[in-house]
Amino acid sequence: MAGGVFRVLSFTGRLVRRARRTKVFAFLCLLPVILALIVRAKALASPGRGLDGLAIFGNIIVAFGLQFLILILALFFGTSVVSEEVEGKTLTYWTTRPVPKPAVVLGKYAAFVAVLLVLVLASTAVAFLILNLDRLDYGPAWSFLGKSLAALSLGVVCYTAFFTLVGTVLKKSVLFGFFFSFGWENIVQYFPGSTQKFTVMHYLKSLLPGVGETSPNVLQFLMFRLDPSPAWAAVLTLLVLTAVFLALACWLFGRKEYLFDEG
Amino acid sequence: MSLVFKAEKLGKWYGNVLGLSDVTIEIGPGITGLLGPNGAGKSTFMKLLTGQLRPSIGSITADGQPVWNNTSLFRRVGFCPEQDAFFEDTTGREFLAGLLALSGMGEKEVEERAGRALAFVELLDAQDRLIRGYSRGMRQRLKIAQAIAHEPEVLILDEPLNGLDPLSKRKVIRLIKDYRTEGRTVVVSSHVLPEIEALTRTIVLIHQGKILAQGDIPYIRDLIDAHPHVVAVRLDEPRRLGALLVRDPSVQSVAYGPEEGLVTFETRQRDRFFGLLPKAVAESGLDLREITSPDDNLQAVFDYLVGK
Repeated sequence: MAGGVFRVLSFTGRLVRRARRTKVFAFLCLLPVILALIVRAKALASPGRGLDGLAIFGNIIVAFGLQFLILILALFFGTSVVSEEVEGKTLTYWTTRPVPKPAVVLGKYAAFVAVLLVLVLASTAVAFLILNLDRLDYGPAWSFLGKSLAALSLGVVCYTAFFTLVGTVLKKSVLFGFFFSFGWENIVQYFPGSTQKFTVMHYLKSLLPGVGETSPNVLQFLMFRLDPSPAWAAVLTLLVLTAVFLALACWLFGRKEYLFDEG
Repeated sequence: MSLVFKAEKLGKWYGNVLGLSDVTIEIGPGITGLLGPNGAGKSTFMKLLTGQLRPSIGSITADGQPVWNNTSLFRRVGFCPEQDAFFEDTTGREFLAGLLALSGMGEKEVEERAGRALAFVELLDAQDRLIRGYSRGMRQRLKIAQAIAHEPEVLILDEPLNGLDPLSKRKVIRLIKDYRTEGRTVVVSSHVLPEIEALTRTIVLIHQGKILAQGDIPYIRDLIDAHPHVVAVRLDEPRRLGALLVRDPSVQSVAYGPEEGLVTFETRQRDRFFGLLPKAVAESGLDLREITSPDDNLQAVFDYLVGK
């Protein structure tokens, strides 16, 4: 099984590096860097005004990275683990090889997650450096970067697992994914009480409790009504959810028959 | 020894739609042609053979093992799907090498086998081009290459000649015939009768999800009691031959023309008639030019069986 996962991962890695879609999404991942460059250039043009690079970085992480970027990336890559192969009628090439079906799901998932992590973490780290060039000796900034990278990584891992499951079950998985991402996840996370705990986003934001201390005015609004779970509980929940999503996806993929649309 | 597939009372339903019904068949070494119109159930049968679909009823086994979800069988089976689908942003060699690596082969073996398969389908010159730039014929040959690259005992080809120009068709037919050697099993489907005729004499006729007949063409023809064999004889004195044979119980009717020198016999006892005919010609000293059996081809058999 492990050998099969590795073989699928290896082949998918080559395919995904060549795919046009990867190039489009790589550009999307560059947006935080471009934004950071614009902010830095503006600060250089107005030397009198101070630049709170860490606060801006926090905004980028929460408003763009967590609530948009990783959702979009996970949606398009996660659903493509199975449903894109069905739509493209290339699933046959995977399911007629001596590789266990769960290994196909896990190998493709692992390849996509690896690519997404490289794209997201690299752009986040570069954006951080650009925005905090003058505060590189400030310890809490590095701590915040670490937490941000952890939250983004866990977000990629968990959301991609969820969308892998969705792609295994549904034909129109991208449409459902949009409703889930920008409906459920982006709205229910603001519900008071325990309801927000039914979103993955709640646990991701629980990993960034220090964000509000950096710039209370802006981030208090972004963290509106967040009642964070303890960090250990958030990490554990995200890992358990990932495992459950993947286990279900593997189980379903092994039993489901996939039919291609004719024509 | 190549795998032997056995289907017993095999049926497949897509919801309320019948895909395949009550199919009992054994497929062993040699080329077996699946013939039937589009939507007849050929692809469904091939997907059941390759474990992509689960039988709704009955069973399908390879050497006694169920096929569905039996991934170990796929080392011994190569499948060329009907759909024109590829990982378009890879080159032909990358495509083959990637699929070969999935079988657990080492890098060196992958390279060797990919090279052999590309040479077999005559794509070595185009191996480093992106697949999206391949012509239809090249894509079809690449699909065959991925099916044979791991040198399976069984080759299953779903409409491999679809959409090819005559030259490419000839190439692919030759490739398939070459692959049949060494006791390998080849199952090939088509809805075009001459294509199957060019490949094999062992056919399975499928229509509306059911096997109408199976065997070699004359055998199938013999099954059709309601339709006599037609034998056309071209010679200098057709009426004299007609007079000689018309009284034999094997002859059902005799007709002359439309061309001069042509006599057409209808018979229900093919073997007896073909024993009688040369004897009559030889004894009467007729100048025989040609004997043909115009309906002894797949088109005629198929038309009879589907009731046209």
